[in-house]
Amino acid sequence: MKKAALFTVLMAAVLAAAAVPEAAGKASLAKKQSSLNSEYALAKDPGFYFVLDVLGRKLELRVRGMVLRSWPLQSMRFWGQPDFSGNVELVRKTTLKAPLRIVIKPGSEEPAPAPAAQPSPAKSAPANPAEYDLEALELKDMPKRFSLDFDNGLHVTIRSKAAGSSGTFGALRDAWRWYVALPLKNLFGRRGDKALSELELIFDGDKDAQAIYWHFFDGIKGVIL
Amino acid sequence: MSIKRILIAVAALLYLGFLAVLGGAYYFGLKQAAAWPPKEAGPGIPDKERPKVERNVQQLERRMAGLLPKGVYIVIDTAENRLYLKNAQDVLRTAVVSCGSGVVLEEPGGKKRSWVFDTPRGEFTVKSKITNPYWVKPDWAFIEEGEAIPRDVEDRIESGTLGDYALGFGEGFFIHGTLYTRLLGRNVTHGCVRVGDEDLKAVFKAVPLGAKIYIY
Repeated sequence: MKKAALFTVLMAAVLAAAAVPEAAGKASLAKKQSSLNSEYALAKDPGFYFVLDVLGRKLELRVRGMVLRSWPLQSMRFWGQPDFSGNVELVRKTTLKAPLRIVIKPGSEEPAPAPAAQPSPAKSAPANPAEYDLEALELKDMPKRFSLDFDNGLHVTIRSKAAGSSGTFGALRDAWRWYVALPLKNLFGRRGDKALSELELIFDGDKDAQAIYWHFFDGIKGVIL
Repeated sequence: MSIKRILIAVAALLYLGFLAVLGGAYYFGLKQAAAWPPKEAGPGIPDKERPKVERNVQQLERRMAGLLPKGVYIVIDTAENRLYLKNAQDVLRTAVVSCGSGVVLEEPGGKKRSWVFDTPRGEFTVKSKITNPYWVKPDWAFIEEGEAIPRDVEDRIESGTLGDYALGFGEGFFIHGTLYTRLLGRNVTHGCVRVGDEDLKAVFKAVPLGAKIYIY
C-alpha cells in the first residue's frame, strides 16, 4: 500500500516537472507571436524603428526587420508601473544642452563660410583628420545624457556610464531624484491619467549614447519587449 | 527649555514620518517591480491552438525575411560616416565616407532662402549611374562662396569634383567621389555622400539601378 502511494506521488512529481517547461514553451511561443506581430506592423513600412529588448538588455535600430545598429545595455534601473511593453512612438527628445546647428550667413560678420563645406587639401592641417576642428554637427557633438518621452507615458533617461552626475551637487541632486523624489512621486503622483514609468538605460561608451541621440528622431516608432 | 524639547520631538516625529512614508513608497515600488516580468505562464495557449500559433509564427518569420532587400544594396550610417555594401545579411564591403555637415546656409539680402546640409535619411533606390559625372553647381554653391549666381547653365558646370562615378538617389543627392580624401570619416558635405576612389568603383560596379539604399 505504501509502495503504491509512493509511486503515485513520484508520478505526480514527474508530471508536474514536465508540465513546467511545457507551460514556459507555450508562454514563449505566445510572446514570440506577439513581438513578431508588433515588429511586422512597423517593418512593412520603409521607416526606421527601434526595438528595446529589456530582458535581452539591448536597444536596436532596425529597418525592414534588419538590424542596423545594436547597443548593448551596461545596466538599467526603473521606478513605477512596469507595464510599458508594446508598440510606442517617441514624442519628445530632451537634453540640457541640445547640439545647435551652425548657421552661415555669407557677407555678415559671422565666421567665414564653413571650412567643412570646402576644405582645402593644400592647407596645412593636423596629421590626423579626426582632429580637424570643422564647422559641422558631428557625432561627438551629441549629448551623452538625454531623455526620451514616449506616447505611453514612459520616460526613458539615456546616458553613458561616464556621463554621470557632474560634481558633488549634481550627484546629490541625482541621488535625491532617484532615491527620494521618484519613489514618492510613484506613490502619490500621477502624470495626468498615467502612472509613473521611469526607466534609466546606461550604456558603456559615450559614443553609444551619442549615436542613439543621433538616430532617434521625434516620431520614431518602436517596440518595447 | 521645554519648548526646545518639544521642537526636537516634533522634528524627530516629522523625520520618522518622512522615513515611514519613504519606506512605504519603496515597498509599493518593489511590489510593482515584483509583478514584472509577467509570470512565464503568461496568456496560455490552449493545446489545440498551439499548431495554429506555430504556423502563424513561421508565417510571420517568412514575411519578415521577405521584407529584406533583394540582391546587393547599400546601407549608410551618417553618424559614423560608414557605407556598407550588403547582400542579404552579408557585408560585402565597408567604406569610410563623408556625409552631410548639418550646417545651415542663409542667403543674404532680400530672398532669405536657406539650406540645411543634411544627408537625407530613409529608404531610397539607385535612380541613376553616371560615369565621369560633372557637377551642375546649385545656387547655394555660389552663395556660400559669396559669388553672383550665374544665369547660364554653362557657368554652373564643374568637372572633376565628383570623382569618376556617381550614383543618384533622388532630389539632387548622389553617392560620388571626392578630391578631399583626408576628410573621409567626417561630416563635411552638403548632403551628398562622398566615397574614396577605390570604394566608389567597387560600389558602382556591384550595385545595379533600382538597388535599395538605406541611410540612417
